[in-house]
Amino acid sequence: MPANAIFGLLGCGLLSLAAAATLIRLRRLPVRARYAVMLAAALAVFVPIGDLSVAAYVRGVTGDLSMATLVLAGAACIAQLGGKTLIGRRDLRALCWLWLSAAVLLYPFALGWTPFDPYSQGYGSIEFLTALLCVTLAAWWARLYVIVFIVIVAALAYLVGAFESRNLWDYLIDPLVSVYALVRLMAPGIVLRQPASQSP
Amino acid sequence: MTQAGWLRWGSLVALALAFAGLYVRVLTAPSPGGFAPQQTSRVASSAPLYEAQLLPNSTAASVHSATAAEISGGRLRAFWYGGSREGASDVAIYTSVYSLRQKDWSPERVVVTREFAQRDLRRYVRKLGNPVVGRDSKGRLCLYFVSVSVGGWAGSAVNLMVSEDEGETWSPPRRLIASPFFNISTLVKGAPLQFSDGTIALPVYHELLGKFGELLRLDAEGHAIGKTRLSWGQSSLQPVIVPRSDKEAVGFMRYAGDRPNRILIVRTEDGGVHWSPPVKTALPNPNAAIGSVLLSGGPLLLVFNDAEENREDLSLALSKDFGNTWRVVHKFEGDSRSTQAPVPEYSYPWIMQDRAGDVHVLYTWGRSRIKHVRFNRAWLESRR
Repeated sequence: MPANAIFGLLGCGLLSLAAAATLIRLRRLPVRARYAVMLAAALAVFVPIGDLSVAAYVRGVTGDLSMATLVLAGAACIAQLGGKTLIGRRDLRALCWLWLSAAVLLYPFALGWTPFDPYSQGYGSIEFLTALLCVTLAAWWARLYVIVFIVIVAALAYLVGAFESRNLWDYLIDPLVSVYALVRLMAPGIVLRQPASQSP
Repeated sequence: MTQAGWLRWGSLVALALAFAGLYVRVLTAPSPGGFAPQQTSRVASSAPLYEAQLLPNSTAASVHSATAAEISGGRLRAFWYGGSREGASDVAIYTSVYSLRQKDWSPERVVVTREFAQRDLRRYVRKLGNPVVGRDSKGRLCLYFVSVSVGGWAGSAVNLMVSEDEGETWSPPRRLIASPFFNISTLVKGAPLQFSDGTIALPVYHELLGKFGELLRLDAEGHAIGKTRLSWGQSSLQPVIVPRSDKEAVGFMRYAGDRPNRILIVRTEDGGVHWSPPVKTALPNPNAAIGSVLLSGGPLLLVFNDAEENREDLSLALSKDFGNTWRVVHKFEGDSRSTQAPVPEYSYPWIMQDRAGDVHVLYTWGRSRIKHVRFNRAWLESRR
């Protein structure tokens, strides 16, 4: 199996696990039960049922997921398993504004509303890279390290060609994380509530 | 240094390294360098030739969207999709081989099924659609085909298979990534071209909310590494690009907007970097695909439905000034002498010139068969 197929399936599997753990509110269970449930869920997600696994069905719908979604899904899994929040409220709020801004810039124009196509900039544009660098340096200056971390991980994944895409946008953002950001900012009460403990 | 200090300065160093890698990648990327020289055909003087035949179809109730390439040994290899109906889960992509000397088609065989695509793409696939075939800079046959996982054709993605033996065997399919919105709504119909740097120029179009065309640039492994918008909005699709030199090319697009219904034209004079806004030609278009080819030494040919409302007429137009003016020189279908299909729809033309100079047109004949028309320059001269 090609490496980018493995990464793609692992990403979709991780999202499925995060969704399952969050929906059943895993952290209310005893610690051992949490790990047992996650192990069972991992088997259900990755072991093929017939021709395809659940992860492959998810991948059929979503394609490969961005690093933003994967970091969020990983953080959700850890929060449900260990009860520890990796992404603080301030970071998450800044992330959501950033994702929403990027989505507003990217999706309407990528759907052909004008001759301008910001998505094509993701294949290799000095202007796009410089804008991304400025935003990331601003986040670093404001000590929003989760944003810096996501951009670094996305850049590294892009450079090694972890997924099928050769477009940097696909490593930074996807529609799922955009919808998450929109819902979180517009109706914070209905999205995942933060556990009590905070990251150091 | 404190933990906070390590986090602060360590993250800055990591950021600097990551962006150094990104800038190096962008600054060292080669440019396409314009369109690669087109194949030249040696045209021997001969008697006028015009012949037509239906391709074999022993199983599929519905067939559509033919494409073809010349292969070794004086042959053409055609592909199309067929099944119980368009969009059904049993739709497969078929192939057949035509001998230019013996003038007959081999029995069709299946190249890609939905199950095969699903297994090798490692994701759910609901149905298959348009194939197009071309060659890469290594001379390998490249088959691009549409697949859908969710929804209708607006949910399409494009996949690529490569053959090193002229279409006898194929690599596993690879998914092309061309859209940020779950990578859906990218389809193919026009023939792929080559850029001078060995990358492929693949005309694609999108159908989700908008309808517009793009030229996708693919590297040697079939990854999309760039693209240029040919149009925008909600009314243009299925671009066909015809280069005349490394810098100059013309593109035609199916029109899906308000009346009058006309074929759209775009032009580039810098090797496909920039394109003129689409404008309507004088030729009608009933929201249907078109085919075009520039013959060796000219003229430019265009196969289209010569009507604004239906696909019951399929005609050949000729332009001596690279698309500025046109003259209809022949009706493939729709005149009183041609045999009518049970369903009078003649659509999705594909036109190409072989190395001997003969022109081949394949199109959907009544949704039940693919028809092949072959003619030569002498016949075309007799129509002028």
